[in-house]
Amino acid sequence: MILFTLEHILTHISLSIVSIVITIYLMNLLVHEIVGLYDSSEKGMVATFLCITGLLVIRWIYSGHLPLSDLYESLMFLSWSFYIIHMIPYFRNQKTHLNEITAPSAVFTQGFATSGLLAEMHQSTILIPALQSQWLMMHVSMMILSYAALLCGSLLSVALLVITFRKNIDIFSKCKRNNLQIGTFSFVELKYANKISNALKLKNKNFKAVRNYHRYQLIQQLDCWSSRVISLGFLFLTVGILSGAVWANEAWGSYWNWDPKETWAFITWTIFAIYLHTRTNENLQGSNSAIVASMGFFIIWICYFGVNLLGIGLHSYGSFALTSN
Amino acid sequence: MNTLNPSRTLNHFLLKSPSLQLKFETHDFNYSRKSNLGENIVCELKTPKNKKISKKIILSEGAPSLSGKDVVENEEAPLLIPKAGKNGGSPVLKFFKRAPRKFLSILANLPLAIGEMFSIAALMALGTAIDQGEAPDYYFQKFPEDNPVFGIFTWRWILFFGFDHMFTSPVFLGLLVLLAASLIACTYTTQIPIVKVARRWNFLNSAVAIRKQEFTDSLPQASVRDLGVILMGAGYEVFLKGPSLYAFKGLAGRFAPIGVHIAMLLIMAGGTLSASGSFRGSVTVPQGLNFVIGDVLRPNGFLSFPTEAFNTEVHVNKFYMDYYDSGEVSQFHTDLSLFDLDGKEVMRKTICVNDPLRYNGITIYQTDWSISALQVLKDNEGPFNLAMAPLKINGDKKLYGTFLPIGDANSSNVKGISMLARDLQSIVLYDQQGKFVGVRRPDSNLPVDIGGTRIVIVDAIGSSGLDLKIDPGVPIVYAGFGALMLTTCISYLSHSQIWALQDGTTVIIGGKTNRAKIEFPNEMNRLLDQVPEIVNSSPSKSEILNG
Repeated sequence: MILFTLEHILTHISLSIVSIVITIYLMNLLVHEIVGLYDSSEKGMVATFLCITGLLVIRWIYSGHLPLSDLYESLMFLSWSFYIIHMIPYFRNQKTHLNEITAPSAVFTQGFATSGLLAEMHQSTILIPALQSQWLMMHVSMMILSYAALLCGSLLSVALLVITFRKNIDIFSKCKRNNLQIGTFSFVELKYANKISNALKLKNKNFKAVRNYHRYQLIQQLDCWSSRVISLGFLFLTVGILSGAVWANEAWGSYWNWDPKETWAFITWTIFAIYLHTRTNENLQGSNSAIVASMGFFIIWICYFGVNLLGIGLHSYGSFALTSN
Repeated sequence: MNTLNPSRTLNHFLLKSPSLQLKFETHDFNYSRKSNLGENIVCELKTPKNKKISKKIILSEGAPSLSGKDVVENEEAPLLIPKAGKNGGSPVLKFFKRAPRKFLSILANLPLAIGEMFSIAALMALGTAIDQGEAPDYYFQKFPEDNPVFGIFTWRWILFFGFDHMFTSPVFLGLLVLLAASLIACTYTTQIPIVKVARRWNFLNSAVAIRKQEFTDSLPQASVRDLGVILMGAGYEVFLKGPSLYAFKGLAGRFAPIGVHIAMLLIMAGGTLSASGSFRGSVTVPQGLNFVIGDVLRPNGFLSFPTEAFNTEVHVNKFYMDYYDSGEVSQFHTDLSLFDLDGKEVMRKTICVNDPLRYNGITIYQTDWSISALQVLKDNEGPFNLAMAPLKINGDKKLYGTFLPIGDANSSNVKGISMLARDLQSIVLYDQQGKFVGVRRPDSNLPVDIGGTRIVIVDAIGSSGLDLKIDPGVPIVYAGFGALMLTTCISYLSHSQIWALQDGTTVIIGGKTNRAKIEFPNEMNRLLDQVPEIVNSSPSKSEILNG
């Protein structure tokens, strides 16, 4: 019972910190960049990360198995993976554009997991026989880590596309327009807008050249980061799918069943393999590969949610349909 | 043209054949002492005899080159291949020689491969969108001709292309074969030559060339040797020759994509073997009965040959379930014994989900269960075995039921006791009017009185649903899995190369990397910060280095 209460407390703490962090982010981006506030928002992220870690550990202790058996837990884990990806550059004192992607993604996932789903889903469930295996930990954690990394990478690519194809960026009206936009990439854009406005203040003379230079540099960096993160996610995805196949051979008697979830994971894998291949060719690099990656973004969501929503196939546990029974 | 012109071949070979240069990979710092070595490669080339050279050249001819230019140049000297030398350059022969190469280069084309992957992905998506393996009538109704999906898509498409069984349809399999061919072609024509080039470690002797690299920097008052030591400390392979330095790291990252392709091919080969050479079968056996493996297994393809182990008899000793405190099933267990032809027990194991039995290539999985019978004492008579029948209800939980007639069994409306069970744990009893009477556990031996009839439920006999499989492809597929995991991990490594040149007291540094383009400059800056500055008081040192 203590553990239950503790879990509740942690959920509430993390959510309230997250809401503060979001407010700070928005203030930073829309009003004015205050360094102190930015730092405190980063500290808030660390605190939330610790809360979620504690939450997952508590769930692990009282349910007796890795908290990855249903949708709520997997969403929490996804959010946790986003936090991890967010924390690594933070602790290495690297300032990357990854932050602007990971922080909102983590926050949205967590918010969705905590408030968007039915309350009954939060209760820890028992493991069905097929899930009682050491492979559960390896397979599911790898898959969700890979989802997190791939989502980050493809979001960076989406941001790249937006920046590339928007020729004339009207800084101030854009701020207003993107205000309500939920897509996380808007943060990158705004960041970029901030940079430009700084440049505007400093160098009125050659504003255009500076702007183009900034833009070029930003695009380069986004490109590199997205490919790096995606290849990391691809690695996790490969390990995840293969461990899943080995597990399936232990539990269901076949390493590949063309089950919808399996098939979609394979489609995701193929799409990101295409992405990695487009990057090897100079003619196809840049926006072409970014388009492929943004396709991948939607395919991951189909793979993660879509298949479960339909509730078909062998991966149907952890879906909405099962919990409504 | 008809004689081996040593100077020409030598030249050719210097430029074209990367493989030969591997011979000179001596990680030797002594080079720096030989002051005017010039091209050290030339020195080495004096030793091999003509025979060797010609061999090597054939090799380089056989190995496809990186660019089209090389191909053309290589073909201008067909005399180097002994057979072709006799026939001269007949155009027919040339065509036959070129055709496979052209075919290869088409197959290895990246856009083609990407197109193949896209179409495979699209077909797979379609395969999950269309319900698989239904009768044709289903598709007639779901995709009618008068109301096509997206305006054109009707059942004719589905049945013509075999999209009702997408993952075994000729279109899909054909695409997979094409992709495999592309994989082979790409590995052969593109990747292996890239490796050869990558393994060629070359010094850059001009500051201009070094400055052309993606990352460049220059350190005044520094020594290239110190840089070499620091790079070695950072895990680089360092080569020094006179004032030039060449260092690289993560060469495996260049090789790994080949491994990825080979692993994919292994998996495909294993999958093919699985599809053509395996046996499958499933059986539901009540506890206490037995079956012969060969009766259950059905061949899957033309390569499926039965083995001796098919005569093995399997006896189901016991089937039981574990339950959570809440009453839900946590695990199914089946105690199996295997007997050979002589009736000797060769193996005994209790299997459960996730823990199959393996014997001589046969794997027995726990996949399903049902309740076969109830043992009941009626007024202390019996025990009677009442067969349980599965009942259809909404939801995915199983329910089994049976009926014990009471009174005159021959009358037109027989009444009796109904017994229902969801699992082997508890049986629910209803009387003649259908009213709930009670719940009994099979092992409790508590009697229940229904309309004067005393019923004791002795036991509930479950049957175990077993899947049997022989799959010769699994070891190959697993080898492919292992290789794929390993090589994908290695592929994450970035191949970094660094060149440096001592120019007076200044060291000019250039470097590039193929993957970690953002981390690389940071790492370089960190390393270059460590290079000690040479104080002017010792000019002799730099002189030694330069001399």
